[in-house]
Amino acid sequence: MSVEYGEIKIPKDLIAKIEERVKETEFESVDEYATFVLEEVVKDDDEDIEEVFSEEDEEKVKERLRALGYLD
Amino acid sequence: MIVVLAIDALEHTLVEEFNCKNLMQEFYGKTDISEFSEPRTMVLWSSFMNGKNMEEEVMALGDEGMWHTKFDIKNTFFDQFENPKIIDLPGFNYIREQHDKERILLKQFFDAQSEDEKKSIRTEYNNHAFEHHRRIKQEFSDALNEDHDFLLGYFSVADVIGHLNFGNRAMMKMIYKDMDEIAETIKNNHIVLSDHGMEKIGMFGDHSNYGFWSSSVKDLGNPKITDFAEIIKDKQ
Repeated sequence: MSVEYGEIKIPKDLIAKIEERVKETEFESVDEYATFVLEEVVKDDDEDIEEVFSEEDEEKVKERLRALGYLD
Repeated sequence: MIVVLAIDALEHTLVEEFNCKNLMQEFYGKTDISEFSEPRTMVLWSSFMNGKNMEEEVMALGDEGMWHTKFDIKNTFFDQFENPKIIDLPGFNYIREQHDKERILLKQFFDAQSEDEKKSIRTEYNNHAFEHHRRIKQEFSDALNEDHDFLLGYFSVADVIGHLNFGNRAMMKMIYKDMDEIAETIKNNHIVLSDHGMEKIGMFGDHSNYGFWSSSVKDLGNPKITDFAEIIKDKQ
């Protein structure tokens, strides 16, 4: 079954930001990226938490990466 | 053609959570890598292709020398095939400039003093890994239509990206879904295999102490990574 598409309006400055982000990903267009993000929000609205940087975590992972041979 | 989809750091828990049906196939489970002192990528893939524990030999090369391990095909089970194709496998024909640069950028990330500098290095690191992933994906796709009796495609993206981004669930999900789509394109019977999985340390990722396997043919239980040389030879 083919997928039907519609249009939505989002601010142009947000589109510009997404265009920048898309360059760092596997997505090929803003449409594809926005569809993926919206699907994720609709489907799993409480699971996609992005962890924040912490120095304690950084020290732990550095130690592990040394043990695995990635860092001197 | 026998196909092995070799995915560095494919995590059993995430394959299930993201419902990657093509990666799971009919039978799947964890590999036992408890005989190794650490879940080191180069040691594990070297042991896979040699069919025996190569930890002592690989570690004797030292932390830097380890990354330059290169076994002759005659020492590996790949030699049992007439026209095998192996793509970017650590310990065999790993693309050294690519993976050396990953480790250089990783080191630069941890040496960076400011958050802005870290952010910029992480972007470069991620781009470098994704560009490589796209090249490997194309090479693997082409090879599926070539005349090989054995094909192994090694994908490093989940490991490389995972080390600096494992806490970014959306990014990891995107990678797992992409790997799942790659698995869907394999029409032959195949094995999906990882060296180890990955566990979260905040936003970062560390190697977990088990790997992942899947097969459409039979339940392999809790195999060792060194068992796969025989398992694959038996499929010939």
